[in-house]
Formats: sequence, structure tokens, C-alpha cells
Amino acid sequence: MSVDKGEVVVIIGPSGSGKSTLLRCINRLEEPTSGRIILDGVEITGNKVDINKIRQRIGMVFQQFNLFSHLTAIQNVTLAPIKIKKMDKNEAMETGMRLLEKVGLADKADYYPAQLSGGQQQRVAIARALAMNPEVMLFDEVTSALDPELVKEVLDVMKQLAKDGMTMIVVTHETGFAKEVGDRVIFMDDGIIVEEGKPEKIFSNPEHERTRRFLSMIL
Amino acid sequence: MVTLKLTVLSILFGLVIGSIAGLGKVSKNKLFFGISTTYVEIIRGTPLLVQILIVYFGLPAIGINLQPEPAGIIALSVCSGAYIAEIVRVGIESVPKGLMEAARSLGMSYLQSMRYVILPQAFRNVLPALCNEFIALLKDSSLLSVISIVELTRVGRQIVNTTFNAWTPFLGVALFYLMMTIPLSRLVSYSQRKLGTYEVT
Ligand SMILES: Nc1ncnc2c1ncn2[C@@H]1O[C@H](COP(=O)(O)OP(=O)(O)OP(=O)(O)O)[C@@H](O)[C@H]1O
Ligand SMILES: [Mg+2]
Repeated sequence: MSVDKGEVVVIIGPSGSGKSTLLRCINRLEEPTSGRIILDGVEITGNKVDINKIRQRIGMVFQQFNLFSHLTAIQNVTLAPIKIKKMDKNEAMETGMRLLEKVGLADKADYYPAQLSGGQQQRVAIARALAMNPEVMLFDEVTSALDPELVKEVLDVMKQLAKDGMTMIVVTHETGFAKEVGDRVIFMDDGIIVEEGKPEKIFSNPEHERTRRFLSMIL
Repeated sequence: MVTLKLTVLSILFGLVIGSIAGLGKVSKNKLFFGISTTYVEIIRGTPLLVQILIVYFGLPAIGINLQPEPAGIIALSVCSGAYIAEIVRVGIESVPKGLMEAARSLGMSYLQSMRYVILPQAFRNVLPALCNEFIALLKDSSLLSVISIVELTRVGRQIVNTTFNAWTPFLGVALFYLMMTIPLSRLVSYSQRKLGTYEVT
């Protein structure tokens, strides 16, 4: 599969179909057993690349937020820029505050994760990933652990991000989101890509029987 | 005061040794893991008194002569290091696995993730256990009297020997230990309550 700059690709598929695995292979949290991954013309699989450098260019947001619970929201966002990009503290704070503003949480900068709702925590996690100024963002079922009324605030942030031109690969069961901002939808089953295409086509007129069966279960 | 000094120094060295060995116990590197595990098993499987005697009386046999105090500090540090290693391991394992992945996904190396994300949370989670270890060590330092270090317990014995009164001096010694351990255990319960405030997940 390939993803163009600025494109929003949505991945759907039943549980265990390999959606998370695919995302985790892209930033090599999981080592692919075969195949190659090329980012901006440069192969990032293999032993020669500095994986830590590569990961700085690929943001990832997880289902379970995974915020650093001993740090405040703003510290979560600025930790990596300060420690590994050696960014100046004030500059990092400024960028961090701008990002928190972007996700609508400027007033919660000094709160600890435990003091924030799930939706707020997930938005901090998005800001944290953005702080490294990545070229592509990976989202793995980022709204699945949220109460229904909190899902929208996170999706709204993602929609805005898509509008701003971010390249995004999004695993989600939110068909509304897929239709609205997805440029392309990929359906996976049993570890392979079964079919892909424009959201309208996949959702209303899928070619494969497996896709149809899956959609009839979730729609 | 000697008791306190020896204990504080030993716990500090113990923390360094224990952190390294604790990292070893969660390491995927077989050699590092093996060495750390062996160290912890040997120390935990032998009495501290024997360890003290080995360091003080045994090492000279292979040409290492130590003054009582350095010998005492080495024995206590090496011993507490093993217990702290276990505490550190539990602490690291108490931090959800996803946090390591989150840190790595931001581009931090394994060591950076440990240092900035995992260890701070691990230490916070095991602070009460570490304080308990400190209390235990404080009391165990009384064993150093066998290598003629004039710490609290030995002072008590000396007074008993000159005054032929066993009751008051030893009672006094016990009181001195309590004066040190009670504030510490209060600190433990305080820190536990304090942790509770931003631990709610
Ligand atoms: N292409 C593949 N090659 C080898 N193993 C795979 C492949 N795809 C998936 N797997 C295996 O299948 C299992 C489930 O995959 P994964 O967790 O990625 O599913 P998922 O689609 O994210 O499911 P869920 O919706 O429950 O999160 C994993 O243990 C993974 O190792
Ligand atoms: Mg998954």
C-alpha cells in the first residue's frame, strides 16, 4: 500500500485482522518479518537506519492514551522536544502551548493526566505526538476507549488536523469520520488488504463478499 | 549518629547498585540479566551477618584489607542493593507497557525512555517500599557491631559493660532506633497518601 502526502487513509476490518500490527510495523514498534517500508523515498526497514530518528517523523496515538502520568499535560507535550530534539525550554513551552490550544486544552496545561477526562487525555496525546512535528500521524482506534459523549471532541481535533493537510493513517470504526475526511478506505482481514477505494465506494458498493459481511455487522 | 551515617551512605550506594541490577532484571540482554539475577539470589539467600563477616574477615584473605567502616558500608550497600533491585524491578513492571511504546514512538531510545518516563514513575510507585527498605537497613546496621564499629547497639553494650546495668542502656538504644524509624514510617504513610492524590486512574 502507499499513502500520498496530505492523504487521509482510513483502515477498517474485524478484530484481529492486523490493523494495529500494520500501524506498528510502520514505526517499527513491531518488526515486519518481510516487506519494505519507504518514507519520503528512503527505506526505513533494515538495520542501517537510525530508528529513533525515523520515529520522530512518525507520530502515533494509541487507544489507551498512554500519557506519562507523572507529568502535567504541558510537560507531556514538551518532554520529547526538550530531551531529544534539544529544543530550548521556552521555545518548547511556546510550541507546546500552541498545540494544547489547537486541541482546545490550553487551560488544562498544568493538570495531571489523572485529573483529565478520557477525551481530554487523548487530545493531550495528540498534541504530544504533534510536538515532534511529524510528517505522518498514525491513529490506532483512538476513540474506542472513550465514553460515547467524548468521542466527538477527539474526532473534531482529527478532522481539523486533516484539513490542515496532515498525512494520516487512521484505524477506526467511526464510519462517519471515514466518510467525511477519509480520502481512501482500506479494508483488512486475516492480515491482508482485501480491498481499498474511495469511502463512498467501499461503504455503499464493496466488491468483496468479506467486506460486505463486515460492513453489514458494523453499519 | 554513626548508625545514621552508615545507613544513609549504604542506602545511597544500594540505590545505585539496585537500580542497575533492577534494570538488569528486566533486560533482554541475557548476560546482564544473568549477572543481576545471580547477584540478587546470592545476597538474598545468605544472612547479612555472614556477608558482613565475609567482607571484613574474608576479603583480607585475598589481599583486600578494609577498615571496619568501609567494610560495613560495602556489606550493607551490596546487601540492600539486592533488595532494592527487586523493588526496582517490581516498580518498572508496575508501569504500563504502553508508556514505553509511547515514549519509543516519540523517538526516544530505550535508555531515554527508561530515564525520563519509566523510572520516575517506577520510583514513585515504590517509594513506600524503598522507605521500608531504609528502615530495615537502619535496624540491620546493628549487626555491624560484630566488626567493632561503634554504632548505636555497640555503644549500648559498652555502657552495659561499664555500668553492669543492662536494662536502661539497651532500653535507651531501642528508643534511639525508634526515634529514627518512627519518623520514617510516618513519611511512608504520608507519601502513600500523597501518591493517592494524583494516582487515580
Ligand atoms: N500480516 C500479518 N502477518 C503476521 N501476523 C499478523 C499479520 N496481521 C496480523 N497478525 C497477527 O494477528 C494478531 C492480531 O493483529 P492485530 O492486533 O493487529 O489486530 P487488530 O486488527 O488491531 O485487532 P483489534 O481490532 O482487536 O485491535 C497479532 O497477534 C498479529 O501478530
Ligand atoms: Mg488493534
